[in-house]
Order: sequence, then C-alpha cells, then structure tokens
Amino acid sequence: MMSPTEEDFELELRSLSGVMNVEIRHRENGDVDAVTLITHGQDPSAIRVMATQIVNLYYTDASVIVEDASRALAPRDIQAVRVALVRAEFHAESGNCDVELSYSGKTGYGRAGSGQLFGGAEATLAALRDLGYSLPFYLLTVISVATVRGWPVIVTMRPFADGADMFGIAQADDDVTSSAMATLDALNRFLSKDISTD
Amino acid sequence: MTPLIDGASEDAVGSGQPQYEAWLFQTMLDELTVSELGIGFIYSVLDELVKRYALNDAVVILSHDSFGAQMFRAGGQAISVDLASRLGTAPGVYCDPDIVPNVERDAVRTACQLSLSLHLARFSAAHDALTNIANRRTFDSALQASCVRSSRYGWAFTLVLADLNGFKAINDSLGHAIGDDLLRQFGLAMRRSVRSGDVAARIGGDEFAVILSNADGHDSSGFTDRLRSHLGSARELVGFTIGTASSPRDSTDPAELFRIADARLYEKKGINHR
Repeated sequence: MMSPTEEDFELELRSLSGVMNVEIRHRENGDVDAVTLITHGQDPSAIRVMATQIVNLYYTDASVIVEDASRALAPRDIQAVRVALVRAEFHAESGNCDVELSYSGKTGYGRAGSGQLFGGAEATLAALRDLGYSLPFYLLTVISVATVRGWPVIVTMRPFADGADMFGIAQADDDVTSSAMATLDALNRFLSKDISTD
Repeated sequence: MTPLIDGASEDAVGSGQPQYEAWLFQTMLDELTVSELGIGFIYSVLDELVKRYALNDAVVILSHDSFGAQMFRAGGQAISVDLASRLGTAPGVYCDPDIVPNVERDAVRTACQLSLSLHLARFSAAHDALTNIANRRTFDSALQASCVRSSRYGWAFTLVLADLNGFKAINDSLGHAIGDDLLRQFGLAMRRSVRSGDVAARIGGDEFAVILSNADGHDSSGFTDRLRSHLGSARELVGFTIGTASSPRDSTDPAELFRIADARLYEKKGINHR
C-alpha cells in the first residue's frame, strides 16, 4: 500500500507536462533510491530539472532518470524488421546457452558454451544464422555493468569491413537473457536498415 | 503484451447496463480502509488483476484532461520506452497473456480513471495550482487547528506571513510568465525551507504564509535564513518582507494572530496598513 505522501509525490511527478509513467525504486531499508520517468514529446532535460526539484523535496538522496518514449521506433517500423527473443536459457550442468529467436514466422535456434554473458550473445548470433542471416560483423565484448537500476549487459560488435562498432544494452532477470537481448538490441539497429537475408 | 480493443464489451453493450466486478469493489473497500482512493488504488487493482488471472504483466493507460496519457504498470514497475512505444497512448487495459474478459477490463479501466480523477481533485482542492503548496482553504483550516491546540495545550507555534516586494512592477514590466515563474520558485523555496510538520501556503497573489510548529517568534529567523538561501538566483529579481506572530504569546485567536502578523509585515514595509 502506498502512503498518502508517496501518492502525492507520484501525482506531482505525473503532473509535469509530458510525463506518462513513474517508477519509484526503493532500497532495502525502504528509502527511495531512484525515480524513473517515461516522457513523450517533451524536452527530457527540462523535465529532469523540474523532476529533480520535486524529488529533492521528498527524498534528497534519490536519483532521477528520464527516458523519452518518443525516441523509440514507431510500432509499424518495429514490426517490419524486428527479430524477437523467444527463449534464452543457461544450463549449469552442461555450461551451454540455448537461444531461440523468431522472425517473420520463422524460428531459429542457437547454442554456445562460453558462460552466460558471451554464451548468450554467441548463441543469439548462431540462432540468427539459423534464421538465414549472414552477418558481416563479429562479437567484440560482452560486459555486465553496475548501475543504480541493476546490472545491465552491454554487447559490442565490430564490422568485418570499415564501419562503426555497434552497441546494444539490455537488462533482464538473468545474464543470459540480458546478453541475448543486448545482442538483439545491437542487431535490430542493423536489421532495421532492411538488409536482405541470404 | 497484446494491445486490446478498447471500449465497451459486447456483453456490456448488449445489456445496456454497466457491468460490476465484485473483486474490484472488494479491492476498493480494502484500499479505503487504509487510504483514500488514489494512485495507490490503481496499483492495487492491477496487482489484484495479475493475481486473479495469473498474468505475467498488466498495464492500464488512462487519459486525463490535465495530465494527458498516463500509464500504470502492475507492481509500480517502469515501462520501458520500447513497451511504451508498442502500447501507444490509447486508453485501455493491456494484459499479458491476453485472457481477461472485455467486461472486466472495462470495469478496471473505469475504476482506475475514477481513482486518478479523485486523487487529482483532492490534491487540487488542497493545493495552490501554481506552486503546489497549500492553498488558502488548507491554510485557514491548519491555522484554526494550530490555534485550538495552542489554546488547549499551550503548544507554541509561529505564524509567518511573507509578501514579495514590488511583485506587481515585475509582473507589469517583465510579463506574467516571468511573474508566474517567480511565484513558482518562491513556492519551491518555501517547501525546501519548512520542516516536516510545518505548513507552507500561498494565500493570495504574492502573499505566502507558514505555520512553524513548536516555535515561538524568535525561531522564525532560521526559516527566513533558509528561505533566502533557497531562493537562489530569484533573489536578484525580487525580495520579500515578513511579519510574524506567535501563539499563545500574541493570541490564540486565528483572526487576531493573522491581523498582528499582517500589521508587523506592513510596518516593516513602512506602509500604514489598516
């Protein structure tokens, strides 16, 4: 149950122009740790300034995160080229990662055995090849980083030819899923350029 | 999570009567035992919906004249920009998996919409819209209550009235937008300057008041120092003058206490105010 103070706090944040969603994260002792705002169509930096002023009135130590939903791809664009993660699993007994992907009604499977972080990314690339993609880049790094919101995984890939490195970031309940999602995050940007499969 | 078709279900349309869900009213009653209906109720309803149907996730999108589209997710979780983009802004209840009957989704959405509106109405009735501090009505009620406690138990408190210097001239010369922003900054500085249990209010155009609990007249200097400090750059644009009165020392009558503080404020301004 929320206290009246918490309810008024959230209402004040929601009253800021463009704020659509508020997440209030607590520490183990109940203190507010971070506040995440999802906005749409407004200047995120202006909202961050106003939100920080309000947050500091209630919880002086809490950090403020603002994410702009209008910067995400439009739904039609996403459906046109999106590769979806169906399943990502790590089997401790064998050390293997299994990843299953779907794209345009097809399913691709991949398996790799390099631990949850690298294994998740390698299995995702294998599943993509199983879907018929020839991907002109290789896996460079997979790291897990500490943030106020948890332990997201960052995947970096480098093209065989000239070109900028590609990055993807994701956070899920376990590292193998985070790694697979981060790989797809990087790859979906590449795939959204509408390259054709082999 | 699949976006569902919004609007009344066929059942509801066919009968011509609104459909009620017993569990929804039970959740409402449970919430009312600990709080008034507000944002907390919306989360309670979503959590209950997830529990009843063993859902992975549930989101309700509401629309409000003042707020625009508002999203609430079960468990108070964040909605990623990706999910927000996929759901769009059309009001409705979105569930994963998509197994909740239309009639139940309609009922949940209506209850949540009502709850958000009630919370905002309650907040607006008690707060000043520009500064989000208490309004005159809340202040009068708080002053009355403080005077009663002071009269009955001898609890000391100080009433501080604050008036912005030359605010009308700033409004006229720099425009109302700058004037409003100045009032907002002053309201924010007041909120940062009061202690827990104090009441800060905007009681007129550029008139503010604070009830400092457990403080006699000498203790208000701490508050005014903090106020000056928190005003920051706004101090360059506008100053303020304060007048104070303490209860029970000066009076335990709200009107008389207010009159004394007001007279002291105008005395400081060098204006004979009657």
